[in-house]
Amino acid sequence: MSEQLSPGEAAQALDEIQRRQQQVIDLAAIPAWYWWAVGGLMVVLGAGVDVRTPTAIGIAVPVFVVGMLAVNGWVIGRAFRHAQPRNGLLDGHGVVSILGFVAVIAGGTIGLAFALRGAGAHYPATWACLAGGLVMGLAGPALNRVLRRVMLSNRAGSAR
Amino acid sequence: MTASRFDELIHAPTRLSIVSLLAASEWADFKFIRDSLRLSDSALSKQLTTLEEAGYVEIRKGFVGKRPRTSARLTRVGRAAFELHVAALQEMVVRSGASILPR
Repeated sequence: MSEQLSPGEAAQALDEIQRRQQQVIDLAAIPAWYWWAVGGLMVVLGAGVDVRTPTAIGIAVPVFVVGMLAVNGWVIGRAFRHAQPRNGLLDGHGVVSILGFVAVIAGGTIGLAFALRGAGAHYPATWACLAGGLVMGLAGPALNRVLRRVMLSNRAGSAR
Repeated sequence: MTASRFDELIHAPTRLSIVSLLAASEWADFKFIRDSLRLSDSALSKQLTTLEEAGYVEIRKGFVGKRPRTSARLTRVGRAAFELHVAALQEMVVRSGASILPR
């Protein structure tokens, strides 16, 4: 059969292979609302820390924990209901991008909160979480694009 | 030079699409594959059985709550055969003087 296959047909088959793998990779894309939801939950937690009453902490912490479980559960559950992208698609570059993103958001938010508190600002944790949440909402889709590019370049048949 | 081997079992149009979906997945849900390729349950089952008999695919049946759920994944043998097949296709295109451009 391979003897009868024309280069054009081989190219068509390669195109189909790329397209189907891309279909699975696109399922892994985290929706834009996810980043804003996590950013909003950070603000709730920050407000709880600032108000510092048992009631505020008693509300903020469970809302943050349950909210994080719900949004992450939705994203992970979606992959399991359809197709879970192969781990090997996300190489070291992808993992470093994720860890770098988390480190910048967490480090930046905590650092800003301490700086605001040192400067005597009111509600430093809330403001810092608001800034961190905004960065997360705006930069999250950019992380998505980086991860998608990494996965596409690691799929079978890609020019590496 | 990269090793290559044209695989007739994989190259059949529907099976090529199934294996390509599985190549990017750890596990893929039966319904996801069926809906993606617009196949009937029986047509997909037949193709998966052919791939399973060749040792290319592993099929897992289980339950999520009370609902039965079937998933499939490429075995190590299947993944190796797929990669060799992709290399064979690339060779054919390159030999013709065309370039392979990723989408």
